[in-house]
Amino acid sequence: MREALRRVSLGYLVLAATAVAYLVVYSSRLGRFPTSFDYLSILNTTLPLVFVAIGQSLVVLTGGIDLSVGGIVSLCVAVTASTVSTSALWLVAVLALGAACGAVNGLIVAYGRIAPILTTLATLSVFTGLALRVLPVPGGSIPPQVRHVLTNPATPTGLIWLGLAVAGWLVLRRTRFGMRVYAIGSDEASARAVGVPAAAVKLKVYALAGLCAALAAVFYVSTTTSGDANAGAPFILTSIASVVVGGVAFTGGRGSALGAVAGAVALTLVIDILFFAGIDPLYQSLFQGLFLVVAVLLGTVAALAARRRRPA
Amino acid sequence: MNLPRHLAVVAATLVLFAGACSDAGSPAATDDAAGGGKIKIALSNSFIGNQWRVEMENVYKAACAMPPYVDEVECSVFNAGNDVSTQSRQISNLISQGVDAIVVNAASTSGLNGVVQQACDRGIVVVSFDNVVDNTCGLTVNTDQVKFGQQLAQFIVDELGGQGNVVMVTGVAGTGADNDRNKGAKEVFAAHPGIKVVATYTGMWDSATAQRATSGQLANLPKVDGVWVSGGTDGVIKAFAAANRPMPVVGGEAENGFRKYMAGLLTPKVNGMSIGQPPFLSVISLELARAVVKGEHPKESVTIPFPVATSDHMVPGETVFPDLPDSFFADFTDSGPNATVVLCQEAATDGTPCPGKTLDVKLGTP
Repeated sequence: MREALRRVSLGYLVLAATAVAYLVVYSSRLGRFPTSFDYLSILNTTLPLVFVAIGQSLVVLTGGIDLSVGGIVSLCVAVTASTVSTSALWLVAVLALGAACGAVNGLIVAYGRIAPILTTLATLSVFTGLALRVLPVPGGSIPPQVRHVLTNPATPTGLIWLGLAVAGWLVLRRTRFGMRVYAIGSDEASARAVGVPAAAVKLKVYALAGLCAALAAVFYVSTTTSGDANAGAPFILTSIASVVVGGVAFTGGRGSALGAVAGAVALTLVIDILFFAGIDPLYQSLFQGLFLVVAVLLGTVAALAARRRRPA
Repeated sequence: MNLPRHLAVVAATLVLFAGACSDAGSPAATDDAAGGGKIKIALSNSFIGNQWRVEMENVYKAACAMPPYVDEVECSVFNAGNDVSTQSRQISNLISQGVDAIVVNAASTSGLNGVVQQACDRGIVVVSFDNVVDNTCGLTVNTDQVKFGQQLAQFIVDELGGQGNVVMVTGVAGTGADNDRNKGAKEVFAAHPGIKVVATYTGMWDSATAQRATSGQLANLPKVDGVWVSGGTDGVIKAFAAANRPMPVVGGEAENGFRKYMAGLLTPKVNGMSIGQPPFLSVISLELARAVVKGEHPKESVTIPFPVATSDHMVPGETVFPDLPDSFFADFTDSGPNATVVLCQEAATDGTPCPGKTLDVKLGTP
């Protein structure tokens, strides 16, 4: 438990460091501090990644990985943008679609006993193909009313949703389901031995990840005001990167979705830091990669330090 | 006891700071010094991972270093790695920076609508090209991609006399340009009952992929009389040559390799038409942005004609470049008396200015 806390705090430390670096670089470049415009646009552009990262962290906590989040985001973006409606029912339908896609992953992984990386690699293609079928050319739109509620470019409505997501996680991890997720990730065989219904829990976890991807899709369409069937692809790697930076262990059972949220925000800030630092564009992805390596190394060092301390 | 952890954290923070601070200092200072009276125009490009994008950025940089731009415009360039949220962040940051105009090649035609609207609301001129932004508050500089498909298909139909088997090698699905090009080609082929499209598959706008896909398909194909290629043309030709198939009539992109075959510099000599999405769209966009900011041009979008080359009009140094690699896009410069813009080879290869030349960009009639 203490180690789990330490891993989480790593995600926060990385976030704090990037936030400070952002402020320093921004103010030294422009001679003033960021304005509400900057904070708002960071918030609104980060929200989709935040949701995908939460879903990804749940899957990683069970010791799995979900590559299909990219496909689910694409599919839900396509459906959201191509159906114009202001009714809440339509939003619920999109979320249900995402959860259903996730449940398909869950069924194959939990009951088909196929490795998560293979399962989700296959379903990634399926979902992306479906998305292209729904929206062959980028386009579509979203009613301005929805945009005003979800990601208002003038007032920080996004904070409400971010707060709800965080609160949702805090409640979830204290439920029996939340405990079981950690139990399966730590040692699946033992968890089964003490009567944890591992397959059912995994099914729910993948469905939840699908739901999170659908939420991300709705926020994506809301910030960009329209859809693109290839929208999800970048989220595959960035969500995994967020989880890594957030200190969630790939072996499962250790870490927290909140760490992944911190990681997602930190990753977005890195883009801004590189921008204002005036890094040659050709080297930007190199620096983004270096940032990841440093964050992962930090995680490993922290884990090693913790292990060395334990016997003492 | 806690030392290792704290040390690591402190070290990492220092690294981040050091990296950020040291790099921040110099460019900011030079920009500010040179900024007096010049208008600021930034290029926001989605990704840089292919030859076309490299040439596109190189000619932009070269143009910025040549008169009249070198005296009037302060240029900057940003790449977003084909990630909409990254490009969105960069454009937000450009808004904060207070640039006068943003020239955009978008990661998604629809994904930047929100942030482009915010730029427009602040009076920033947004000019998008190639993969343009849907939001109509911005201006666009582009070619007509439907016409690309039509013109190449019509050439094939004419050369075949309206009779024969045709293969279509398409581009990256889900992009506007791929959709439009295919649409234009299919219209023309469908209007000629003697033409039979015997296969349609994607070459992903990449020579190696197109070559592999074509090699795989050829075994199952009847005699092929014409090939319509959206991109990766030299790969398709290599696949036909490797399979010892008779060389069909080829309508394709502006790869230098394709043009070498057309000019007979590589064997077999290919009868073909080469049309390209010109990399100098970035320079036209720069000119439009400059002219609009200066009030010299109305706030209107521009469509430019494709630079076209056929096998019987191959001029080394103008439409084909014997000393440049096959993957190079030979349409980095226009040619002929009505050329939209004429650029030199080093502008495309190194992004260095053409010596002693003042750029004259024709925006044409809006």
